[in-house]
Amino acid sequence: MSGTEIFITIIRVGFGVFVPLSAVAVMVWMERRGAGFIQDRAGPNRCNVLGFRFGGLLQNIADAIKLLFKEDVIPGHIAHKFYFILAPALVFITALLCFAVIPFADALVLGASTYLMQAMPLELGILWFLAIIGFGVYGIILAGWASHNKYGLLGGLRAAAQVISYEIPMGLALVSLLAVYGTVNLTEVTQFQGRLLFGVIPMWGVVLQPLGFIIFVIAAFAETNRTPFDLAEGESEIVAGFHVEYSSMKFALFFMGEYIAMFVSSALIVTLFFGGYQIPWLNTQTLVAHARPVAVALMLILPAAAYVFARWIGFNNPGPAPNPAQRVRETKVYIAVVWSLVALIEVILLGYIVAGAGGAADRILVVWLQTAVFLLKTFFVCFVYVWVRWTLPRFRYDQLQKLGWEKLLPLALFNIFITGAVVVALG
Amino acid sequence: MSQPLLFYALSLLAIVGAVGLLMFKHPMNAAMSFAVTLIALAGLYGLLSATLVFAIQLIVYAGAIMSLILFIIMFLNIQPDDLPDESGYWYYLAGGAAALTPLALLLLYGINSLSVTSTPEAPPGFGTIKEVGVVLFTDWLLPFEIVSILLLVALVGAVVLAGKREGGND
Repeated sequence: MSGTEIFITIIRVGFGVFVPLSAVAVMVWMERRGAGFIQDRAGPNRCNVLGFRFGGLLQNIADAIKLLFKEDVIPGHIAHKFYFILAPALVFITALLCFAVIPFADALVLGASTYLMQAMPLELGILWFLAIIGFGVYGIILAGWASHNKYGLLGGLRAAAQVISYEIPMGLALVSLLAVYGTVNLTEVTQFQGRLLFGVIPMWGVVLQPLGFIIFVIAAFAETNRTPFDLAEGESEIVAGFHVEYSSMKFALFFMGEYIAMFVSSALIVTLFFGGYQIPWLNTQTLVAHARPVAVALMLILPAAAYVFARWIGFNNPGPAPNPAQRVRETKVYIAVVWSLVALIEVILLGYIVAGAGGAADRILVVWLQTAVFLLKTFFVCFVYVWVRWTLPRFRYDQLQKLGWEKLLPLALFNIFITGAVVVALG
Repeated sequence: MSQPLLFYALSLLAIVGAVGLLMFKHPMNAAMSFAVTLIALAGLYGLLSATLVFAIQLIVYAGAIMSLILFIIMFLNIQPDDLPDESGYWYYLAGGAAALTPLALLLLYGINSLSVTSTPEAPPGFGTIKEVGVVLFTDWLLPFEIVSILLLVALVGAVVLAGKREGGND
């Protein structure tokens, strides 16, 4: 292995591990502030260090410290301690492993070698995701069973039955999608979506497979046990479901596992249906060929966006209580940080245009740009998760199973027939 | 290099899991050790460059079937008193081992008498989804369809049986 190869492998694996982990913090913040926004209140925004609140992000650090230092209780009635401890670890690890096959940028061509931008460049692609997600159910079942508690058992039963039932419509929606793409490899799937339909519309999965998209998204919500399908932890009926006996970091592992699973399924929805890292109308070849104009355009767009963002901070951050002067100082610092970040990126881009343009630098710039676009799209889908959670009420359990088996399953089969006919007819 | 090591490690795991399946008293322990065997088998398929079989083993056996078995064990919520009396356990084990020894010796003999020739390396693309699909839908189309009809019959049978019991209770 050459030096470059080792370096790129470290970058890829690092991205595959640390991005979902950091995304947990962002998503918990998004969930709380999103809930506040939708319910017309502020959300957590008081936790601070020296008066700096970072828009409520510090609340996550406070929560993490609280969870780390809480007493780790294993109730005395638990007979199978090994499974009790194994369960949260399984849920967490499987959620993290699923992310490993999702490409976050197009294959990087440096000289003669090509590097796929996934933590694990497997050709199995989506099959790996399906294989690993099955092990997440193990964690839920073991947690519910080992807790030896009626609420835990009921929650485990509900969650496991739900995940197992919704894997079927999800798999069938994937079948029709993969028939369209003609591959299971997620990098090839995304490259396919870089083309244009009739020369105008990007060939995204959501355009080619609207019905498959609806089925897949509903199944993905059910798989991640999110509202409107979060019966597994229905507080009003079974307290907290399968993690009712867990405390401290074991609970935190369930909690983080759930948010990572949400992030991964958002990333998967983006990869399968919204073109992944592709920027509409600008596929990788176009970007690499016109890297210099793209860099110039970025240098122009960034200050404009930063100006709007700084105005938004200046308008929203200063508040009445408890110390207006402190709030004004805080706002000034935030705006200064935003502008210095923009200045840093501008200097890097300028350096690129003056010195580095052409060859490898172009390709690396494109990788950066595509990674940013991928993360932007993924966080938008994460926001849709939050949006749905605070908008829709919870389903009843029989309604949930009826929807899965009597509506989604026949619809998915119908979709496969139609897709098959169209794919064969178009050759 | 690492391949023989991996092979030995995975084989050992598969055997230990299978032994655990037989020896553990509690069904949950037995099921979990069987899951270890299934995952180790998936690893062995992967070593043989059967990529698709590796994925299917994980999705179908380790993922779907085992999680259904775990689900049923959880649903039945078996207590230690519910387990059958196994006082004659060691006698059965010894008797079974004695009965199987000739068969095992025969198998060992058969394996030892195989001629040691190196098989050619798998061609590129062997075991991938496309290759397996092409073989399945050209050379093995008829058996494949017959198996699918068999599965359909089993499915219909399960539905009929489940429906009948519900009708009887009414």
